Amino acid sequence: MFSFAKLVETDEVEDAAPTRARSQRRGASTSLDRVTFAYPGEAAAIASTSLHVDAGELVCLVGPSGSGKSTILNLIAGLLVPTSGRVLFDEEAIRGPGPERAVVFQDAALFPWLTLRDNVEYPLKLAGMPKGERRARSEQLLRMVHLWKFEGSHPHQLSGGMRQRGAIARALATDPAVLLMDEPFAALDAQTREILQGEVERIFQETKKTIVFVTHNVREAVRLADRVVLMGTRPGRILREIAIDLPRPRRIDEERVAWFAADVASEIRSEVEKIAKEEADDAWVAPGGPVHVDPRRNLGSGI
Amino acid sequence: MHDRTVVRAVTTSVVRLLLGYSMALVGGVLLGVALARAKAVKQFVGPLVLGLGSVPSICWLPVAILWFGLSETSIQVVVVLGALLPIAVATETAVRHVPPQIIRAARTMGASGPRLLATVVVPAAFPGILGGAKLGWTFALRSLMAGELLFVSGGLGQLLETGRDLGDTALVLAVVVLIVGLSRLSEWALFGRLDREVARRWGAEPA
Ligand SMILES: Nc1ncnc2c1ncn2[C@@H]1O[C@H](COP(=O)(O)OP(=O)(O)OP(=O)(O)O)[C@@H](O)[C@H]1O
Ligand SMILES: [Mg+2]
Repeated sequence: MFSFAKLVETDEVEDAAPTRARSQRRGASTSLDRVTFAYPGEAAAIASTSLHVDAGELVCLVGPSGSGKSTILNLIAGLLVPTSGRVLFDEEAIRGPGPERAVVFQDAALFPWLTLRDNVEYPLKLAGMPKGERRARSEQLLRMVHLWKFEGSHPHQLSGGMRQRGAIARALATDPAVLLMDEPFAALDAQTREILQGEVERIFQETKKTIVFVTHNVREAVRLADRVVLMGTRPGRILREIAIDLPRPRRIDEERVAWFAADVASEIRSEVEKIAKEEADDAWVAPGGPVHVDPRRNLGSGI
Repeated sequence: MHDRTVVRAVTTSVVRLLLGYSMALVGGVLLGVALARAKAVKQFVGPLVLGLGSVPSICWLPVAILWFGLSETSIQVVVVLGALLPIAVATETAVRHVPPQIIRAARTMGASGPRLLATVVVPAAFPGILGGAKLGWTFALRSLMAGELLFVSGGLGQLLETGRDLGDTALVLAVVVLIVGLSRLSEWALFGRLDREVARRWGAEPA
């Protein structure tokens, strides 16, 4: 199987010229320092939230819908500016979006008018990489995500999972220090998702990049994360952080993954119940009586 | 003699059409993009565009004649105004409907300003802009025919008028058929390849 480490080697052998994208950029830390963010005319989406992600750490954000997970990701990406507080990248305040912080969106967001290969090369073009190098780099990235055969295809000709892998290749093109992933696998079937989880873990281990990964799927979070950050709503905030010190590589069906997931899931469930109760003016009763969590199920995937 | 007149009329009309349309296309796309992306432009020019767009372009002919006399310029004013506004409106809509996710993705990769506009916003809006361009072509042709009918200066419209003067029904119908042919042929020649290209890139159903 093609590996990222190999990718770097070939790069070095084939081309001795110094380039921006080739130097293996390791992960950098990123953090929110008492950040409050409100969309214009709305109540705070997240309130006074602090989160520190270490360089080379993989953090998963989980929590009910509307708890501000995407908001946090967009703040780190520089797409949103905090109402108050500071968002830092490598100890410096973030001023806007930048290629050192790449994003993989839920719907891939590949450009439909470009071929897969041109999509991967787009950020390299922006960075001013010469054509020859660009071609080499995009080929290596597409081989890494096993899509080389489809380099000339347009996004509409690819399956959801292939598009998502294409988006990962594009995100890695400029060799970012932080990879931000917003429910990247939510729309995929369980098998494809598992394969891609494996690839994320492999890339994470081989490149030592910092990854912030948003998911609704608690199993997915526990299977991937060094630390799971559990978020609550109204206002969006961090409820609890759970370190997952299980050895890697992990498997989604491991006993210990299931055990951690059950713990996190029950906590999310009580949070969701709390919200539902508030919404129904305290007249709400949890369907099915007391909370029962079956660790063999795909916990929390439907939240 | 008839043949030469017809050929000359077709040539005159086609040259006018291409000239007026290319100006309208450039102006319309620029205006449309500005309307969609610049709040100030939308605020001050937007209502004007919608208002003017509802006026059949032939209504500008009297004004144009007052300003520019019985000249090529007057005919061009009618053609350009006829095509520019629908192109601008379609472009604005297309640019507005570019999925925000696409623009966000581009920004995270470091695109901004004119670069973002040229490499992402306009290409993403291309299917819609192409629709506007096609509409503009039809409007340009209509405006030109109306203009030429009222305006003695060669072209197919005037040939229609000549046919009427001579009571030559055959000539009038022949010119109408010619206009239909010209319209279909030019659409195919101008937009056929682009249509196929959009279908190939976006899949069967372009956005
Ligand atoms: N563009 C927007 N305009 C106004 N309010 C918004 C906007 N986007 C999100 N919000 C609000 O901000 C809050 C947090 O939203 P956010 O998208 O960060 O939640 P999330 O945790 O990602 O939810 P989900 O799991 O459903 O994706 C929600 O209450 C939502 O209604
Ligand atoms: Mg979200």
